[in-house]
Amino acid sequence: MEFWTACNGLTKIRPMPSSLADYYDTWIQDVIRVEELGFDGINSPEHHFMYDGFIPSPIQALCAAAAVTSKIRLATGAMLLTLYDPLEAAELATTADVLSNGRISLGLGMGYRPMEFDAFGTAKKTRGARLTEGMEIMKLATSQDSFSFEGKHYQYKDVSISPRPVQQPLDLWFCGGTTTIGARRAGTAGLGYWLANSPFDATENIVREYRQFGREAGWREDQLRTAVFKDIFIGETMEEAKAMAQQMMEFFYDEHILGYGYLVDENAQNLYNPSKEHHLYKRFVNSLTCGTVEMVIEELKRYQDIGVDVIMIQSTQQELIADKILPELR
Amino acid sequence: MRVGISYDIQTTADWEAILSDIEAADTLGYDSFWVSESRENGSACSVPALFLTSAARRTRNIQLRIGGRTVVIHSAIRLAEEVAVLDLFSRGRAGIAFATSGAQSTVPGHVHETIEFVRSAWSADEIRYRGEHLRFPSHTSDDAPLGVSFPEWQGDYIPQWEWGPAMPDFLAITPKPYATAPPTYVDISEDTTLEWAANHGVSPFIGADMTTDRAVERMQQYRAVADAAGRSRYEVEAVLERRMGIGSESDDCTLGGSAHDLVCALREITSKASIAHFVWRRGNTEDGDLTQFAVDVHPLLQA
Repeated sequence: MEFWTACNGLTKIRPMPSSLADYYDTWIQDVIRVEELGFDGINSPEHHFMYDGFIPSPIQALCAAAAVTSKIRLATGAMLLTLYDPLEAAELATTADVLSNGRISLGLGMGYRPMEFDAFGTAKKTRGARLTEGMEIMKLATSQDSFSFEGKHYQYKDVSISPRPVQQPLDLWFCGGTTTIGARRAGTAGLGYWLANSPFDATENIVREYRQFGREAGWREDQLRTAVFKDIFIGETMEEAKAMAQQMMEFFYDEHILGYGYLVDENAQNLYNPSKEHHLYKRFVNSLTCGTVEMVIEELKRYQDIGVDVIMIQSTQQELIADKILPELR
Repeated sequence: MRVGISYDIQTTADWEAILSDIEAADTLGYDSFWVSESRENGSACSVPALFLTSAARRTRNIQLRIGGRTVVIHSAIRLAEEVAVLDLFSRGRAGIAFATSGAQSTVPGHVHETIEFVRSAWSADEIRYRGEHLRFPSHTSDDAPLGVSFPEWQGDYIPQWEWGPAMPDFLAITPKPYATAPPTYVDISEDTTLEWAANHGVSPFIGADMTTDRAVERMQQYRAVADAAGRSRYEVEAVLERRMGIGSESDDCTLGGSAHDLVCALREITSKASIAHFVWRRGNTEDGDLTQFAVDVHPLLQA
């Protein structure tokens, strides 16, 4: 099982005022540190027009990281493919792949914030179809010298990209949700499925569905990989761990999850500023893994047992996790 | 006088050698490094901002310039963002030069609008833009004023995290660059763009493939239009890219001869065409000696 991690610094956090250039420097230093700690990957997310300077170009940050690291995988989580021309996205990916000597992993997402779709001029209702076409174009563009594609949203005739990637094939994941539709999208396309923070039972069901969809589409078992966003909080006691998780909610997640419509209800509608008593908010809080070292190891072994390949953790307690957790799950 | 370097990148195998060269150039006091957007051979660099962001973490002082950037497949939003992020990772060393419209099968107005939008995005908070080729946000209606416009103060504000699914008429491009306004250049090979750039205070750039005589003429034309428009020389930085080589032959596009010959040629061009920044276009990392140029030519350009 691999462990990937986020690092602080690609967005400002309100209780930690500093210049964004200093934040970026901190991020670079943290990337070097987590490589030394033995983590297998780091990730860079994407959002636009944010007051806190949220990184809008995740691959660019990874290219900065590529210059100062040599082993760690460099992942987008997620690159909002629906907001790019897929050919442009492919060139970003292959350029970064050359600069990192083949260490790029692309987590591709569809996005959900209305202002982003509106600003870029993409109808949000087309995002699912665009993502499906975009993922296919990414595969074609990065694996063939030239290609043509005739889709509803994108059409190309005899086009090629530069440069060619180091990796063949490029490491592609569908990143988002813990849903049957997501499992079908990733499994059918033969991409890895990178699931959102979710309770174990939901993850187990969706991982099973994903593998089924993948097998039905003709993909080999070793081509079907899963990663899980899994925030981990370790304390001497469960209460101490939960207090840390609560702090993370207040410092970071509350604003992003509640304010920007991250949670999606049963009718596929994004929830804006719901009550903290809302069952979906509580479900998210409960999906955070809290406990002592032993409890966390036991919990993560359940994910290992169902074949999850990558656990993607948050940006805190990395030394402790590298020291106490990683060796137990390698 | 500033002196920079650029390369013809032919294969991806050269990339690491070029990055090492940039580190050397940074140590030797070269002022800038330019990477142009190119798709030749399947090995060229199509996204210079990525190459330069990597270079930013391996250098301390050298200015990092995106060259020949096209506007056709790249969203203007992303162009503004990529320069801002490069500027932050390099602490104020980013700049961008835009390609001619002819080099990308569009019309000059498309390039001009993109430059106007990008510069506004860096300097202002919430903006809206209505042009012939570009609208931001995309729902901007025909009632909006042409070009950039700004919201009126409503007496209070609603923070972003309370907007819900609303799609505002004005948005801020973020993050902002480290510098207030990263240097912006445009290739002035086309008359329409030369006129526009000179009138709007956008720095002129001429690449290595134009003959030196023609380049001097174009730069003089630019200056004449800018002077007539009442624009000051200090507003812009005229950049001329040349192939050069100590001990090599001169031709219409190449400056050669002894170190003294090179210094004389560069000073003559500077005097005639108000050039502020020469870029030495190198075929590869073996093309000429960076140290010799830094020792024998660079200091004499201002001596």
